[in-house]
Amino acid sequence: MKKIQLILLLSFFGHVIMSNEVNVYTSRHYDSDDLLYKEFTQETGIKVNIISGKGSALLQRLKSEGSNSPADIFFTVDAGNLWKVQKEGLFQSIQSDLVLSSVPENLRGPNDEWTAIAKRARVIFYNPENVSEEMIKDIDYEDLSNPEWRNKIVVRSSSNMYNQSLVASLISNLGEEQTESWANKLVSNFARKPQGNDRSQIIAVANGEADLAIANSYYIGIMLSGSAGEEQLVAAKKVKMAFPNQKNRGTHINISGAGILKSAPNQKNANRFLEFLISKKVQKTMVDKSYEYPILESIRPSDEIASFGTDFKEDQISVKSFGELNPSAVRLMDRSGWK
Amino acid sequence: MNNILEIINLSHAYSKNENSITGINLDIQEGERVSILGPSGCGKSTLLRLIAGLEKPSQGEIKIKGIKASSRKNLLPPEKRNVGLVVQDKALFPHLSVYSNICFGIKKNKTKDDIASELLTLFKIENLKSKYPHEISGGEQQRVALARSLATNPDLLMLDEPFSALDKDLKETLYSEISLVFSERKSTILLVTHDQKEAELMTERQIMMEKGSFLE
Amino acid sequence: MNRFSIWRLLPFAVLIIFTAPLLIVLSTLFGSYSENWFHLYEFVLADYIISSLILVIGVSILVLFLGTVTAWTVTTYNFKGKKVFEWALILPLAIPPYILAYTFTGLFDPFGDANNFIRSVFNLKDSTIIFPNVRNIYGAIVVFAFTLYPYVYLVSRSAFINQSKSMQEAARLLGLNQLEVFYKLALPLIRPAAIGGMMLVIMETLSDFGAVDHFAIQTFTTGIFRTWYGLYDLQTAMQLASLLLLTVGIFYFIERSSRGDGIYTSNNSTFSPNEEVNLTGLKALTAFLVCFIPIFIGFLLPIVELSLWAYEVNLGFFNNKFLENSINTLSLSFLTGLICAALALLINFSIRYKPSILVGRFSALLSIGYAVPGLILAVGMVQLLVYLDNLAFSGFDIVLTGSLLGLVLAYVIKTYALANSSIESGYERISHSLDDSSKLLGSTSWNMLGNIHIPLLKTSILTSVLLVMSDVVKELPATLILRPFNFETLAVSTYIYASEERMIQAAAPAIAIVLIGLIPIVLLSKMIRSSRPIENRE
Repeated sequence: MKKIQLILLLSFFGHVIMSNEVNVYTSRHYDSDDLLYKEFTQETGIKVNIISGKGSALLQRLKSEGSNSPADIFFTVDAGNLWKVQKEGLFQSIQSDLVLSSVPENLRGPNDEWTAIAKRARVIFYNPENVSEEMIKDIDYEDLSNPEWRNKIVVRSSSNMYNQSLVASLISNLGEEQTESWANKLVSNFARKPQGNDRSQIIAVANGEADLAIANSYYIGIMLSGSAGEEQLVAAKKVKMAFPNQKNRGTHINISGAGILKSAPNQKNANRFLEFLISKKVQKTMVDKSYEYPILESIRPSDEIASFGTDFKEDQISVKSFGELNPSAVRLMDRSGWK
Repeated sequence: MNNILEIINLSHAYSKNENSITGINLDIQEGERVSILGPSGCGKSTLLRLIAGLEKPSQGEIKIKGIKASSRKNLLPPEKRNVGLVVQDKALFPHLSVYSNICFGIKKNKTKDDIASELLTLFKIENLKSKYPHEISGGEQQRVALARSLATNPDLLMLDEPFSALDKDLKETLYSEISLVFSERKSTILLVTHDQKEAELMTERQIMMEKGSFLE
Repeated sequence: MNRFSIWRLLPFAVLIIFTAPLLIVLSTLFGSYSENWFHLYEFVLADYIISSLILVIGVSILVLFLGTVTAWTVTTYNFKGKKVFEWALILPLAIPPYILAYTFTGLFDPFGDANNFIRSVFNLKDSTIIFPNVRNIYGAIVVFAFTLYPYVYLVSRSAFINQSKSMQEAARLLGLNQLEVFYKLALPLIRPAAIGGMMLVIMETLSDFGAVDHFAIQTFTTGIFRTWYGLYDLQTAMQLASLLLLTVGIFYFIERSSRGDGIYTSNNSTFSPNEEVNLTGLKALTAFLVCFIPIFIGFLLPIVELSLWAYEVNLGFFNNKFLENSINTLSLSFLTGLICAALALLINFSIRYKPSILVGRFSALLSIGYAVPGLILAVGMVQLLVYLDNLAFSGFDIVLTGSLLGLVLAYVIKTYALANSSIESGYERISHSLDDSSKLLGSTSWNMLGNIHIPLLKTSILTSVLLVMSDVVKELPATLILRPFNFETLAVSTYIYASEERMIQAAAPAIAIVLIGLIPIVLLSKMIRSSRPIENRE
């Protein structure tokens, strides 16, 4: 009797279990996503409960909660984290025909544990006033270690997961030894100590502090939209975007992705939620609001992003490899002095 | 005659030798007024703290009204001893008025007012009733402290250098006034002081103390 | 006589609850060590240690200087603006270090607002950069010092006020001038108080993640997260965190034990306030600047920059969600403040009522939570809650995990030190002879607590609630991992935007944090205004 009272009391503080809902752990936090979740509820009557946070922290919470976890969906912007959940065996295979038929195979887990929801490319930004078309044409990531770029490159800190994924993909393509000598030379090409985020790298190039910036594609979309303020809009208009490695394996791609957990209490709803995320309508909203690339071929990226070209070659290397190689990448960057 | 206080072979040691006491024996009868005279650091304040139950002796025992109150093993908590202690810095509660200070220890609500007003009159402090401790003079504070400790009608009232911070004229007035109160109420008093004159004026029996022991 | 009275047991019971999540973290020290340790040792550990050390030393020196000099200036001198400075000097407490860091880069980056402004005023070329780069360890030292110095200011000021006039007069008669009185007499006398305040500053500096991450400085905390997020090695990350914890713990114990012989209270029943020296002309201006500069850098500057950002974005942020987040933040911090103050009161009382060296030492441990990075504390907490859930509610759904209870508990552990420091110093000012008197007048323990201590500690209790509140409003990493579904605080939304460096969107919730943080600070200031020596007769 006492125990029941206690539980009643605690459930007041705690999570009250309701039937028609889907519980999402997400490391994406865009205002536009919140609107999408609302739309999902309107369409289906299923309430979306959100906990957002860093991918690794959420993963840890998932692991601790074990089979008792209330989470249905794990949704993250970092492929490495998807791979980690997959490796822990926490995902179940996606059964939805709709998902399996619309998402290309290389954008799903090896046994359909997860599916990509959107893509972003890690590209090079330059200011055409300082860098000639000749110099930037057909540039590869490998070229960034050349002496001609001494003190001319800006990039954010190696603590950032996008840099870690990029280096992991290079290790996978070139091997550890070659990547390390590349990283050593790249560090000596830095125009300044790594600092700020991708956007401040783009601004540094726009202002002429450096010639090249390594950054994610969607940042330029946000800056061009004007939502980030006048100053960033002005800066964004000054720069251009180059897709590296077009003559060979293609530009490095990272994904936002999601999967359904084995312990999911609301499996059906979780399935509907995934199908909703890859529906044409949602994909269109997503690319328009978060400036990512769509995973459905029939959808065009947002105008801001499309203006830099939509038809570029993507590195087909699997997400698994940069998940696996991420720790090696971090150690390699430590050794090379990439702060 | 009843023994209020009985101390048998009492010792208490501090890590520094100062203030320690050794082998103290003392009996005080009901209504008796006794003083202990000695230089500072001789252990007389320690003795009072032991009697009050604020410290535990390392040897010997203390009986209050025949009941064993302190020994090396047992300690009756101070709030259950019904003894009073007035110290030099008065320790008035700064957030309470004079009246509330005096009433603090009175348990019975019915008689509270009567006891308090009797004491206010007795110590000639009726006009200070609603003042706060920091608003009155040192001599007045001492009267309040005395009134407060008499309010609980203690079996034994102990005074630790109560007048030493006051000037000479004030002391003389207080000596006679307060002695009068004590003899009227037949209070049992244990006074500790370094002032021979004070001891003689206030009490009928004087004991000399030095380096933690009584001089017989 | 009851040997196991509640007052003996309480500190231990609380200690067990408080330290359980920390012990979970510390227990990793006895687990296996991965090969990542070789890597850390060879390439980065030295960097982490050295930069953390430089940071702590730099911040300590600057904070001691700012805190004591401003406190001395407003308590000793009379000059224009002094009455305002007296309370305004604590305003920077409302600005979390990470927000000052964001605004610093917004202002002082080569193309930040400050540089742009000067360039446009003097019509300079784009390549002219006036302000030095702030994204380095020196910038971080400035950021921490100017947001955290009020901790030292608060305690120093009340310590200066409590110093007796006669002592300073004696010093003047012995031939010391006003300045010599400050550093030869007044300063050494407030050492215990100032160091207590400084310990809070050091702990907050060491556990900070937001500001050092923003400046890309490799400290212990950033190292912990890099190991966790990048090397995927939580075990090693927790081991690193344990080392940080132990370091702070040792530091803390040394400070505690050196304090024993350093409590200088004067019997202030005959207390007379210091007379203030009137300043005019150049001297008054100097005093004015000494007080104005810390407020300017630590409070006015970030407010101006945040307002500029907020002005740039449309005001669509002020909607229902924003309101809900604000209410969440406020109620969460208030609840935590109450619990912390009540616990600190009970524990300090029990230490005083049943003194024991062991209990005293152990209760010092309760404050250690302040030094634990919030996210690490949260990880320990999740494991503890899951364990309790399985123990007590097996067969039921998860109850404690992801509940507000877990979140509040984490906050209480994290901020108890603040409540304790204020109530502890309040207790130090209550003479023990009052306790003796009340015992002899027949008071029981509850009686003494309720009728004597609580009325006398009123100010300290309020201060502790307010200090905790102002800290909880700012705290965030623990919220990110422990919060229930759909529960967001202002710090969470600021962090989410700021981690993407969408500063303009982050400005509105950041301003709200500052505004809510200002409520306790303003109340504190009010108390400061009314605690001028004359009225200070407690």
